[in-house]
Amino acid sequence: MRLSRFLTAILLLAPVARGAAQASGGTIVIVTGQQATLPIPTLIEGPAATTANYELADQLFLHLAITAPGRPTAGDAGFIPQLAERWERRDSVTLVFDIDPRARWHDGVPVTARDVVFTFRRARDPKIAPSLSNLLRNVESVTAEGERRVVFRYRSPYSEQLFDAAFYVAPIPAHLLESLPPDSMARSAYARHPVGSGPYRWVRSEPGQFIELAAFDGFHLGRAGTSRMVFRTVTDADARMNLLLGGEGDAMASVIPPLTNRDRIAARGEMRLVTTPSNTVAYLLFNQRAPGDSTRPHPILSDVRVRRALVAGLDRQAMVRTVFGQYARVAYGPASTSLWISALAPKAAPRDLPRARRLLAQAGWRDTDNDGVLDRDGRPLELTVTLPTTSQPRRQMAAQAQEQLRQLGVRLEVQALEGPVWGGRHSSGNFDISFGSATQIPSPSGLSQSWSCRGGTNVARYCNPAVDSLISAAVLSQSNPSPLWREVLRRIEADAPAAFLYAPVNVVAVHRRFERVQLRADSPWLLAHEWRVRRGAALPRDAAR
Amino acid sequence: MLRWLGTRLLQSMVTGAVAVTLAFFLMRAAPGDPLARLGDDRSITPEQVRALEARYGLDQPVGRQFTTFLVGAFRGDFGVSIEHGRAVSELVIERLPASLLLGATVLLVTFALGSWLGAVQAIRRDSMLDRFLGTASLTAYAMPSFWLGLVLAWIAGVEWRVLPVAGMRDPFLPESATLLERWADVLRHLVLPAFTLACVNIGATMRHQRGAMLEALAQPFVRAARARGLDERRVTWRHGWRNALFPVVTLFGLWLPLLVTGSVFVEKIFAWPGLGALAADAIGARDYPLLMGATILVTTLVIAGGLAADAAYAALDPRVRRP
Repeated sequence: MRLSRFLTAILLLAPVARGAAQASGGTIVIVTGQQATLPIPTLIEGPAATTANYELADQLFLHLAITAPGRPTAGDAGFIPQLAERWERRDSVTLVFDIDPRARWHDGVPVTARDVVFTFRRARDPKIAPSLSNLLRNVESVTAEGERRVVFRYRSPYSEQLFDAAFYVAPIPAHLLESLPPDSMARSAYARHPVGSGPYRWVRSEPGQFIELAAFDGFHLGRAGTSRMVFRTVTDADARMNLLLGGEGDAMASVIPPLTNRDRIAARGEMRLVTTPSNTVAYLLFNQRAPGDSTRPHPILSDVRVRRALVAGLDRQAMVRTVFGQYARVAYGPASTSLWISALAPKAAPRDLPRARRLLAQAGWRDTDNDGVLDRDGRPLELTVTLPTTSQPRRQMAAQAQEQLRQLGVRLEVQALEGPVWGGRHSSGNFDISFGSATQIPSPSGLSQSWSCRGGTNVARYCNPAVDSLISAAVLSQSNPSPLWREVLRRIEADAPAAFLYAPVNVVAVHRRFERVQLRADSPWLLAHEWRVRRGAALPRDAAR
Repeated sequence: MLRWLGTRLLQSMVTGAVAVTLAFFLMRAAPGDPLARLGDDRSITPEQVRALEARYGLDQPVGRQFTTFLVGAFRGDFGVSIEHGRAVSELVIERLPASLLLGATVLLVTFALGSWLGAVQAIRRDSMLDRFLGTASLTAYAMPSFWLGLVLAWIAGVEWRVLPVAGMRDPFLPESATLLERWADVLRHLVLPAFTLACVNIGATMRHQRGAMLEALAQPFVRAARARGLDERRVTWRHGWRNALFPVVTLFGLWLPLLVTGSVFVEKIFAWPGLGALAADAIGARDYPLLMGATILVTTLVIAGGLAADAAYAALDPRVRRP
């Protein structure tokens, strides 16, 4: 009897669980490739600085303000209030934020200025948050004036003061964390059950499977449109598609490439594809120093004529079209589609083989032995491009680049390396050409990290003091910095420190039953609390829990 | 028997120590860096990377890292995972039940069904059934588990939508669900990964069992049993099959680590939250502490498996225990 009941339960469980659909409630199941391990602001550092942690933290913790899509991050106007209900400028180095009096932590305690001061004290401590403290280096002090008012003082006048205060870190609750030593916070009970101020509150985590959040009833900007959000983790890309197409997922970012996914999703009919700008840009990075020895110039790539020839010899448009179809464009300079300055960039130049040949000839490269490969002083024009094995688009594009450069007389060896090996060689500058990519913050000021002489991640040692000056001028500009940023992009493109290949859009699959769908470039699910299930379209999992 | 067991135990401990030491140094000798992926526009300065290396003890000489690891390991502390920021022992214990469930199910199906089918093949040697089972088992054995898994997930999960394609639990199971319903839910999730792994592995058991059974049935003691007029069923199963179990027992011992590691590919394809997938991710991220924790567990199981198989063999066949 027991056995038969058990078997019946196995067979009938799905229909039983799917039996009672309700119109209210609503659940968003987001399919991701990585599970959040430490989604707590100030702790998202080092190896914990993963997209999964940032995306989950954005649901649990509210920033003071968020950037308005497409608006410049410079100045104080292009922002939407979140935890702060308003802000005003006292002088060129002082910003004052008023915390929304309705804001509450998930445990019901009001959010106060003390929480913001506590958070920035931790965030600006290099021992606790080395990366964050570096990003907040221009903030001189954060103090409270009463319960609701926070005063930010900066070391100098610059245009992105509000961005710095709002973007990098969201406040964490002082009343729960002040007594915890910073070192033990990551292993505390709080880290396992975070309490935030965002639209969703923490419910539970099944390690390696899913994390469940529930709408926070006391959310001061209005209760979320869906009562539940579940992040399901599936590391394998094919398995993620299976989960989505099997009806067990509602939304998934970065669906394309491969392009075949477009047809697979269209064939099902339940999902639609929504595009949003992406914060990724990928490029073939030319090392200007000898591989592994930054004291000597690269024997081939330190010559700007060679770098320009390589860029001109690539059919970047064809490469992007083949791999991404309509879902990417050739990058002009290091500007992803989410960066507001990308709108200032002109179209990237098409392939120009005669120019490429001319430039190489000017640099002294000729095919003296008629073997199809150019040479100079007995040395063939041979280069190696390294890339991570995990990136299918990069593998495809590297193979295309190899063939296109062969037509120019350049022998390109493609070396696909395991992720950590590639990463180690990339960050130590041990490469000729590295097929790299960058995930960019919404502010163009981040470009200084990789494309200025003293940039922390300028692994290829590109250095143009004129570009550095322009970036500084644009960052410090009190007026419209657009012309300066346009010139930054133009100069970088002309210097060819890299062949900027693709700036994709983020293609997101979303279940058709959702309306009011908004996606953000910096964090696609940031406004998911505004999604709602269309009336009459609810699925069983939308039933209120 | 006790002396024999003591010697084998000592040998096993030496083997384990050598394996763990080798694993430790080989991991560090392999190219790649746990902090290498911190390179994008949101990244940090080289000084700050060095500070992180100090935090995880990666700035120490390898010899000192090994000493620190050994001291911790003897106290049951395998350190903190670089990727997860949590104690390794905690992570391993968290994932162990899923691995044990999948591994035990697969071993049970593979050996119970495999040895029975292999014996049936031998009994009906050269019959249609023998040929059919032989071809089927060989085909299944030749199929890559990741391919079979993807095909099964596509058919059962996407096309027919009768079984879940990922995970171990349904996030939408009502809180009011009974224990029975919760178990049934886990079983539904278990079907596809267990079937995939069992399909691929059962072929080996069947072929080993068939060969051993054919050999056993040709032995004089089987003929003698028949000559004594014993029932054919009793001759086959009690005298033949029992003696044909030795190679399968050895195989079982060797496959015992499957209990923990499962199949990395299958765990990934079905997002089964086991140790195999965790260890594979740790390799990709060069998460040394987590890798060592998983390595110690797997090494212990391999050695324990071998020891258990030897002990079973010795118990079944006294000749093995002779010096």
